[in-house]
Amino acid sequence: MQIENLNLNYGAVAPEIIAAVTGVISMLVDALSPKGARKTNAVISLVGLVLALLAVVRLEPSGSYFGGMVTTDPVRVFFSVIILLVAIIAVLLAGQFLRDEGLPPGEFFTLIMFATTGMLLLASAGDLVTVFLGLEIASITTYVMAGYRRYDVRANESSLKYFLLGSFSTAFMLYGMALTYGATGNTNIAAIRAIIGEGRVEHPALLLIGAAMMLVGFGFKIASAPFHLWTPDVYEGAPTIVTGFMGTGPKAAVFAAFLRVFADGFNVTASPIGAQLQSTWISAVAVIAVLTMTIGNVIAISQKNIKRMLAYSSIAHAGYALVGFVTGDFAPVAFYMLAYSIMSLGAFAVIQLLARAGDQKTEIADYAGIGFETPALSFSLAIFLLSLGGIPPTAGFMSKFFVFKTTWDAAPHYRWLVIAAVVNSIISIYYYLYPIVVMFFRPLAPGFIKPRIATMTTVALILTLVGTFYLGLLPNRLMNALGQGQKAVAIQPRLGDR
Amino acid sequence: MVPLSWYLALSAVLFTIGVVGVLIQRNAIVLFMCIELMLNAVNLTLVAFSRFLGDVTGQLFVFMVMTVAAAEAAVGLAIIISLFRNRETLNVDEADLLKL
Repeated sequence: MQIENLNLNYGAVAPEIIAAVTGVISMLVDALSPKGARKTNAVISLVGLVLALLAVVRLEPSGSYFGGMVTTDPVRVFFSVIILLVAIIAVLLAGQFLRDEGLPPGEFFTLIMFATTGMLLLASAGDLVTVFLGLEIASITTYVMAGYRRYDVRANESSLKYFLLGSFSTAFMLYGMALTYGATGNTNIAAIRAIIGEGRVEHPALLLIGAAMMLVGFGFKIASAPFHLWTPDVYEGAPTIVTGFMGTGPKAAVFAAFLRVFADGFNVTASPIGAQLQSTWISAVAVIAVLTMTIGNVIAISQKNIKRMLAYSSIAHAGYALVGFVTGDFAPVAFYMLAYSIMSLGAFAVIQLLARAGDQKTEIADYAGIGFETPALSFSLAIFLLSLGGIPPTAGFMSKFFVFKTTWDAAPHYRWLVIAAVVNSIISIYYYLYPIVVMFFRPLAPGFIKPRIATMTTVALILTLVGTFYLGLLPNRLMNALGQGQKAVAIQPRLGDR
Repeated sequence: MVPLSWYLALSAVLFTIGVVGVLIQRNAIVLFMCIELMLNAVNLTLVAFSRFLGDVTGQLFVFMVMTVAAAEAAVGLAIIISLFRNRETLNVDEADLLKL
């Protein structure tokens, strides 16, 4: 790392800076206003997120900054947009959640902004150090958010489990990074790629063990089997809106870093060690994908609690996204994570409204007969569930189709994986249809009170609904953009090639 | 001079002690200490590689890890205290309201 090559360009980290500064501002505003500043902070956060979105759009299309710590490429741009959309929807939903629950209003927005900073950093990381830093900023804030309902034992438990298993997995990932550093003498992902490509690896065994441990770490963070055991407990115990947030944003961000490290850094076949590493991790990912899909879907069938069911569904969806991973191409994974984030957040938003303060009504039995009592909510939930199940013309169908088709065409050795994924999506339709049947065809459960829907929540629901249908009916523009991004990745000069 | 492999073996042993501790201990604070041990084993690996490769990046990485571990400790202890206030226990097996 030479000093003259540092390329200090603050424009390249503008989205992260804006998110962090907004977080600090909202913290100060909350501290200085006597009664808490729910509305002010929601507005400040929204403005910050929209500015960050503009900054992302205005990024130079490709480049490497701060001595390779930060890179801009299509992966960063697409995943940053996903993360910011998730954060915007979470902020829109947070207002009503905080008021209904009577929770301290200010810090929640601060935490969302800091988590967003970490996720953006993770999506832009060009170096293992930045991957670690971004991952931890995003994780530590979500540990706090999971336990935000401080008086609730379930939230405490969820937060403790998330914290212990999250740090445990971080330690694995970190050990993997240290071994990779030892094997290649570098922490920069592009430089590691170049060194592996030239076969200049001092200790090949260290590199393989390092990659395996990083795979375990990433596997934990995206909740893939066999590292998924924390997910149902954490998702069930956390406040619903937090569940929606941490099941989508951080997961997408970790996928971005996962793609950069594995599908980019460890994806060279020019040397024997590179070829060995590549074939090993791709087959490991394929096995993990099958396990993840199958375990997620099969266990989801027997769930009685809708949040737990969606937790298993989220595990299964990580498996579908991993199917696209074996192509070594970011486009199907990015499209999948965008579609998944939108429909999953929408579903959790409706569940949050129906569950009432303190998440009392989250059993599927509580949904009996509410179909025509709150038509707006129940029809939205039905649409999101059908979309998660992959029924056309929704985002869920189009994203699955895109992932499966790309894998079928690009990776002939892994066609069995696509077949397994299709079988799994058919199984999954059963448990997605079950709550819909309960909502519309069962007698009304006693004690149902129609939930009140705040304006901000309505906006968030409309956004997610429009997104679900937009991606399902008119995906062409986005797919073309992703296709161009792919070409840009192919011709982009790499740091190590110079 | 002590060869590199000794440092690596020591840190691997420390890391394994941490992993085994996380798997068999039941007190949340002890679990947390085991995780810290794992992180410090990694730090030792990084510093050893840094010294033997003659490259400073590993040592910079250690600073990052230490900072993050401090932040994690603050948040972790807060979470453990909030659980203790509601449950009067530090045993993770008794935190079983959510079925596993």
